[in-house]
Amino acid sequence: MKWVTWQNVGVDRIGCAWLIRKFIDSKAKFQFIPPGTLEIHEGAEPFDVPGVRLSHHQGHCSFHAFLREYKLTDPVLHRIARMIDEADTVQEVQVETVAPGLDFICEGIRLVSPDDATALDRGAMIYDALYALLAAEPKIS
Amino acid sequence: MDWLLLVYKIPREPTAGRVYVWRKLKQLGAIAIQDAVWVLPATRRTRENFQWLAAEVTELGGESSLFTAQDVLGAQNESLREQFAAPIREAYNEILAALKRSKPDLEVLSKRYQKVKLKDYFQCPLGEKVRQRLLAAQGSE
Repeated sequence: MKWVTWQNVGVDRIGCAWLIRKFIDSKAKFQFIPPGTLEIHEGAEPFDVPGVRLSHHQGHCSFHAFLREYKLTDPVLHRIARMIDEADTVQEVQVETVAPGLDFICEGIRLVSPDDATALDRGAMIYDALYALLAAEPKIS
Repeated sequence: MDWLLLVYKIPREPTAGRVYVWRKLKQLGAIAIQDAVWVLPATRRTRENFQWLAAEVTELGGESSLFTAQDVLGAQNESLREQFAAPIREAYNEILAALKRSKPDLEVLSKRYQKVKLKDYFQCPLGEKVRQRLLAAQGSE
């Protein structure tokens, strides 16, 4: 399936693309359109663009919208969603110390990548690492 | 210097929505000009923050417009900068004053420094001073 988003990906979209490939659509293809535009071809699914289904809603990031829309209940994913919330949006309460760093690293990845597709590929490793680390944390029961 | 201008209108009821947007604007350190237009210096991050806030206004049943602007009158530019800079300077000075007292709570003060720095759009020189003092204060009880 084809997934469309704006150019210049950051923490939320790198996370979303990782989530799509890993948990929703392993054969996902990504297309990048200029910021501010909304020309989406039929059959393509837009994400992290204002006003669409898979976007910011009620103060939460787009990654969060994916979890809700695709009914993903893995607590590790929900933890990552909270981190992206704090990294990407204005939150009154901050509980994830990783968030500002995650944001910085993702912005840096885009900066050193020749294009958005490469940034998504490289960024996926950050989220793989994050997921593995969080999954290995002792559970509080 | 480019500025971002956000103009929005939101239904009077429920009041929770209005308060929500207002609080977010305050958190971003945005300034209201003539109680009508909300302004932030244009950076990649502020652009993103305003863009999502505008989307939230729509979600709350309101309307909004977002513009990039350049100030035509130089002097006006200066006073606008000053409106952003003054509270930051004050906040840094408060931290510096607190650091001079006996047994300052370094944990609280460094947290406060991080928060202020996020809104320090014009790189106030006091910021570096606070940083240095905080680093020097550690382990010096």
